[in-house]
Amino acid sequence: MGLIRLAIVGFVVLTIVYVCLSIYSRAVRRGKLEAEWEDDGMTGDRDAFIEQGLEDYDGSLRRKLIWGVYIVPVAFVMILIYVINFM
Amino acid sequence: MVYVKWIFRIIFWGAFAAWLHYTLPQHDIVRIVGTYEERQELGDWTKIFWSKPDTQSEGLINRDVQFIQGFDEKDKARVYRNEDTGWSWPPYFKFDTANLYTEANDAISTKDAPEWVVITHYGWRNEFLSAFPNAVAIKPATGPDMRIIPWFNIVFLTLLAALFWAIYVRWRRFREARIDPVLEDVGDSWDAASDNVAEKRGRFRAWLDTWRGKAR
Repeated sequence: MGLIRLAIVGFVVLTIVYVCLSIYSRAVRRGKLEAEWEDDGMTGDRDAFIEQGLEDYDGSLRRKLIWGVYIVPVAFVMILIYVINFM
Repeated sequence: MVYVKWIFRIIFWGAFAAWLHYTLPQHDIVRIVGTYEERQELGDWTKIFWSKPDTQSEGLINRDVQFIQGFDEKDKARVYRNEDTGWSWPPYFKFDTANLYTEANDAISTKDAPEWVVITHYGWRNEFLSAFPNAVAIKPATGPDMRIIPWFNIVFLTLLAALFWAIYVRWRRFREARIDPVLEDVGDSWDAASDNVAEKRGRFRAWLDTWRGKAR
């Protein structure tokens, strides 16, 4: 029962963190692409450049690293259970 | 108003620090002199200082709890409770209470031939509230003057400070970029409005004064 409660609460909290971090990280990337556009003095379709950059970001390793929000705490709890009870 | 703000801040961060002090692990070097079990009445609010086992039904207000008795290197009495934390708070995920009790019994020693152990625990001892720290682990110590470096707490508190700092910096940037300009706008129009009122009132005063025979 305790495990189920922890799993549900943990999932909800981590999902909130995951969504916030995803939105934040994408916004940062958008800001960087916009800055790059300004600094390099590029011409042409600015929106298309940013869209392309964000699509590249969606497939990047950096984007996938955000899954660590789920993986790291679960791994930490498993290590903790081993250290506390079986070491 | 400034005082209220500071009092509020001190209370909030003080409570947070106390909560961390209660929850984070601490180490004592003790020699264990005995163990016992005692039925505890857990009907009032002091039950927050005790674990809430999965198997404990809602209606159950007393149960047997294991205790570990020891003396630290300054010959001060130390008593620990020995309870599962299970899957609930604080997140120690301790399930091996019976094993720990066995280890504690194995480590019992006398004053003449002391066997020193490091007891990892969290929680507070309070005689008035009958609160006991919960023992989490027992490890052999090299002696009563063994130096313990709390690596977990060092790493944890550093990461926590880094997290707070990261959030604080981003919040400040966000406030400067999005909220302050709006507030300045509001402030400007408020100033303009009060100037307007002051001017109107000035004119009204002047008009009233004409009735008292003053020049306009």
